[in-house]
Amino acid sequence: MPASHNVAVLLEDGLLTLNRAVGVLRRRNVPIECLALKPSGTAGVSELTFVLKTDAATAGRVVQQIHKIIGVRDVVLVATEDSTTEVQS
Amino acid sequence: MTEMLTGAQILCRSLVEAGVDVIFGYPGGAIMPFYHALGDHPRLRHILVRHEQAAAHAADGYARASGRVGVCVATSGPGATNLVTGLATAHMDSSPVVAITGQVPRAMIGRDAFQETDIIGMTLPITKQNYLVQDVAELAGVVAEALAIAQEGRPGPVLIDVPKDVQNQKTEYRSSQPSQDPRAGARGQSLGSQSLTPGASPLTPGASPGNVQDGVREAARLIAAAERPLLMIGHGVILSSAYPEVRALAEKTGIPVITTLLGISAFPEGHPLFLGMPGMHGEVRVNRAIQHADLIVGIGLRFDDRVTGNTAGFAPRARIVHIDLDRAEIGKNVPVAVGIVGDAREVTRRLAAEVSPRTCERWLEEIREFTRPRPAAFRGDLAPETILASLYEATGGRCTIVTDVGQHQMWVAKLYPYRRPNTHITSGGLGTMGFAVPAAMGVHLARPGETVWAISGDGGFQMNMAEIATMVQEKLPVKMAVFNNGYLGMVRQWQQFFHGKRYSCTPIWSPDYVKLAEAYGIPGWRVKQAAELWDVVAQANDHPGPALVEFVIEQEANVYPMIPPGGSLSEPIEAEPATAAGD
Repeated sequence: MPASHNVAVLLEDGLLTLNRAVGVLRRRNVPIECLALKPSGTAGVSELTFVLKTDAATAGRVVQQIHKIIGVRDVVLVATEDSTTEVQS
Repeated sequence: MTEMLTGAQILCRSLVEAGVDVIFGYPGGAIMPFYHALGDHPRLRHILVRHEQAAAHAADGYARASGRVGVCVATSGPGATNLVTGLATAHMDSSPVVAITGQVPRAMIGRDAFQETDIIGMTLPITKQNYLVQDVAELAGVVAEALAIAQEGRPGPVLIDVPKDVQNQKTEYRSSQPSQDPRAGARGQSLGSQSLTPGASPLTPGASPGNVQDGVREAARLIAAAERPLLMIGHGVILSSAYPEVRALAEKTGIPVITTLLGISAFPEGHPLFLGMPGMHGEVRVNRAIQHADLIVGIGLRFDDRVTGNTAGFAPRARIVHIDLDRAEIGKNVPVAVGIVGDAREVTRRLAAEVSPRTCERWLEEIREFTRPRPAAFRGDLAPETILASLYEATGGRCTIVTDVGQHQMWVAKLYPYRRPNTHITSGGLGTMGFAVPAAMGVHLARPGETVWAISGDGGFQMNMAEIATMVQEKLPVKMAVFNNGYLGMVRQWQQFFHGKRYSCTPIWSPDYVKLAEAYGIPGWRVKQAAELWDVVAQANDHPGPALVEFVIEQEANVYPMIPPGGSLSEPIEAEPATAAGD
């Protein structure tokens, strides 16, 4: 059942690491609702957050794949919002 | 002791000091400083290939046969892009390869300079890590780190892109330097313990050593309770040399063993517990065993679609224990009852120690009843089975066989009796036609004392047959076998079964392979009859240099049985469909 999954990633500064992390979303063919990058509060580390619109198993797999990227320090599923009540057009 | 060296010299020195003794490559403008420095390093043997794709496959073959990192080198632009298929092949099959590419000078990057390409961007999804080295002072550390990352954990390819001016830049170099944590540059030092929400990690069970033991205990309990258990072993068993541990586990419990395509040779054929290969072209009894099993213990495999068929119908009665080094593989393709993240050898050793001795006699008897007579797939007397029997006899089974992709690959996988570990090398995940001939060169360099046979179809052989010249120039005595049926046979088989027998673009013309061999100055034979077979194969095998044998086989032979793509393992095709589907 598709739901919105909020994922937060701590990653080292640098376009290559960011590119790799975002590339996983494309490579694994997962739709995203939004994506943001901000300083983490620690020098040299950024926090990437995105919202996936997918089922829980797929969201879990994305977290696993991003966790493998060299330069990623941590990744967690922050929250899941059930979207079954969304209006169907 | 420190000395001033150029980036190119540092590349060579770093490789030599890391123990690299052979590299596969092709020079060009942006990598010329490296090739200039190479002349001062005779311990670093360079194999000049005829196409950079072959360099990547050869490095891959070297890595798979030796367990060490294979290294390939190319120039910028087309040289780098030609590596891509080889790197993707290594990535899919978890092979430790390091690619070094030249890049245009830093000031030209981003300006669409001559032979400039974004090889970093192109290889992001098919490498474990890649680097654009912008400062020569970082180069030695990057090389050490790349070699370590390629090999550690689940192996895979790493690419280092070095701009030409960085190759020419000088800096201080200290011999055998980075003995520090090779990942320090990538992981940093001071930030390692930082986390978003400590303790809230959603990652799979078994990630910490304590959980491994819990997983092992639970797996042992499931093994004790199972009536129809199976062991399925894959490439991870070969990568971690877990042969004695797997054998000990199988023999202590009496559980029959299935080897995936990349797991072939990890368990000896002929062992009473050996069952064979599963999946799309697996024997009927193997797939039926999977469908009847109540427990599958998978070690170092991915449960990929060629193994499972339609996952909805895969092993419907079985609980699955999945042991893999890569936690992202656990539960990726099939739901698991117990996931254990760890090295195949270590986890299997612990599991073998934990399980109680048992037997599976009734289950083995049941599986024996699943056996069907092999369908008569071949007309004429030069059947692939006979060819492979002659190869086994000529080599005494003491050779490594490298296969390409297609029908011959499946015949070799199913019919050649592998009894020695890691003697079957093939492109499994990516299914790269053209792999066998160049990869076999790398295998030979890793195992110079052993005969290496590259077996290809007439399609795949023609993709990289230019490497015969490399074998001649570099004196690489690879034996090449071409199964010539005049078709792209596996595609033709699919057309026969699923596309109304419309053989669209699959008939393929070949040159006269005997004359081709002659043109390269190597012996060549054409075998059409089984009567000629044994003598020719023995001669080719005993020839001290490279040799080529063409086997003219039945044009429309098929690989049976076959699970249709997306089909269930319970529904094999065992004969040509009476009425072909499709249009």
